[in-house]
Amino acid sequence: MWCRYAYIELMMKKVITAIVALVIVALMAFGYMNASHHAAKGHESKLDPKEVIFEHLGDAYGWEIPFSHHYRIPLPIIVHDKQGWHCFLSSRLADGKEYDGFKIATEGDYKGKVVSVDGTRPLDLSITKNAFGIFIAAVLVILMVFSIKRWYKKHGMKAPRKGTAMLELVVDFVYTDTIRPIMGREAPKYAPYLLTVFFFILTMNLLGLIVIFPGGANLTGNLAVTMVLALCTFVVTNLTGTKEYWKEIFWPDVPFALKCPVPMMPLIEFLGILTKPLALMVRLFANMLGGHMVVLVLVLLIMIFTEMFGAAVGAGTAVISVLLSLFMLLLDTLISFIQAFVFTLLSTIFISMAHVKHHVKVEVNKE
Amino acid sequence: MELFKPEFGLIFWMFLAFLCLYFILAKFAWPFIVKSMEQRADLIDKGVAYAQQAKANLDNAKAEADKVIAEARNQQAEILREAAKMKTQIIEEAKVAASAEAQKVTEAAQVSIEQARRESEKQLKEEVSELALQIAEKILRKNMSNDTAQKELVNRLLNEVETKN
Repeated sequence: MWCRYAYIELMMKKVITAIVALVIVALMAFGYMNASHHAAKGHESKLDPKEVIFEHLGDAYGWEIPFSHHYRIPLPIIVHDKQGWHCFLSSRLADGKEYDGFKIATEGDYKGKVVSVDGTRPLDLSITKNAFGIFIAAVLVILMVFSIKRWYKKHGMKAPRKGTAMLELVVDFVYTDTIRPIMGREAPKYAPYLLTVFFFILTMNLLGLIVIFPGGANLTGNLAVTMVLALCTFVVTNLTGTKEYWKEIFWPDVPFALKCPVPMMPLIEFLGILTKPLALMVRLFANMLGGHMVVLVLVLLIMIFTEMFGAAVGAGTAVISVLLSLFMLLLDTLISFIQAFVFTLLSTIFISMAHVKHHVKVEVNKE
Repeated sequence: MELFKPEFGLIFWMFLAFLCLYFILAKFAWPFIVKSMEQRADLIDKGVAYAQQAKANLDNAKAEADKVIAEARNQQAEILREAAKMKTQIIEEAKVAASAEAQKVTEAAQVSIEQARRESEKQLKEEVSELALQIAEKILRKNMSNDTAQKELVNRLLNEVETKN
């Protein structure tokens, strides 16, 4: 048996080697052509990897379209300063232009942000790339969820098919297998919040992996987004907490010396309230940001190596980089799901932990 | 680092979008979906239980039917056996009746034969006596001299005739 597998493996290796060689040759040809083209035109821009990475991971006032670094989909800029509200399209500020007393800062603390001409930062409620991406994600979630609802409305108790079945599988996985076992009878009350969180995060994660227009915004890899989500869980947890939950924080069942006169345990418990959402926020942020960053670095390696050693080395690197970033993107797809699930799972646990009923005291036999 | 400084505008829009999303879905979609899914789960559970019950019922019914069939078979065998018995009985009775009838017929025949025999005997006797008389007459005519001899002769003749018959 094993020799058959070994044979298949050998064949696979041969096929892969052939494909890789072909791609290398093609890329080399392309690289040479490009390099000569650049040389003929006589302009060479210095590559700044850090700049490129943070530009891609950060927010922007317009949305890039594929194959053009220059033209962007204009998005509305909404700012408020002493003169009141200003609202205009981001295309008016493109290429360092000034409009209505505003420009996009090119350096300083507010680099890349809208500032007034004198350098102060107004209240900025612009629909940026990320904000727009959030709206797209929200609309997609609404469409998905209502498609399930429509199915039930239309077909009653029949099992869903195709896309709806897939969505229903996810809902079932989150609700029946996660929320209900943890929350028990309270599950239907909190399921809407938790399911919304799950689908919203999942959609944002997956949208972030798509490189071109409707995707490409690094949404869940942005601290503001995860902060709002974690804050919501924080608010839900603590607003719905029972008396018992608060008692266990400020007057826990520990030896008296630990809570008075120095409230050590209450302090620790109180910090626990804050670290829980903080952990939620940072976990999602760091996971998604890390995935995006690795892919970006892998792709940038091509440019860096081309610049350093010429087109041939760059082309060779391209093969490896593309394969590696493909692998990373596949991994990121998995991570997208896992992180959405982990966020929902932990939110569920935190909320259900805030709903402690009076503990039955266990009699400890002191002998 | 721009990445680690949450931007107020984005927080605002994210908050707004998330709240809107939550209220829309929590009001119009999730409760309905969750309820439908639970209902369907119940329906499926019930269906399975029903199917199991139905299968048990079917098994019971089969056993019952088998029992009924076995009983019917027994009855059939019984009936057949009885019928066979009755048949032999009827045949037996018929035989007895027939033999009795035959007996009667034979007896009647015997009686009639006896009668006929008696009649013919009687007739014969008459004929013989007539014959004897005729013989006697002839003898008488021939020799009337010896009376005793004649009488002896007559008797002897008569006896002979009688034994002959």
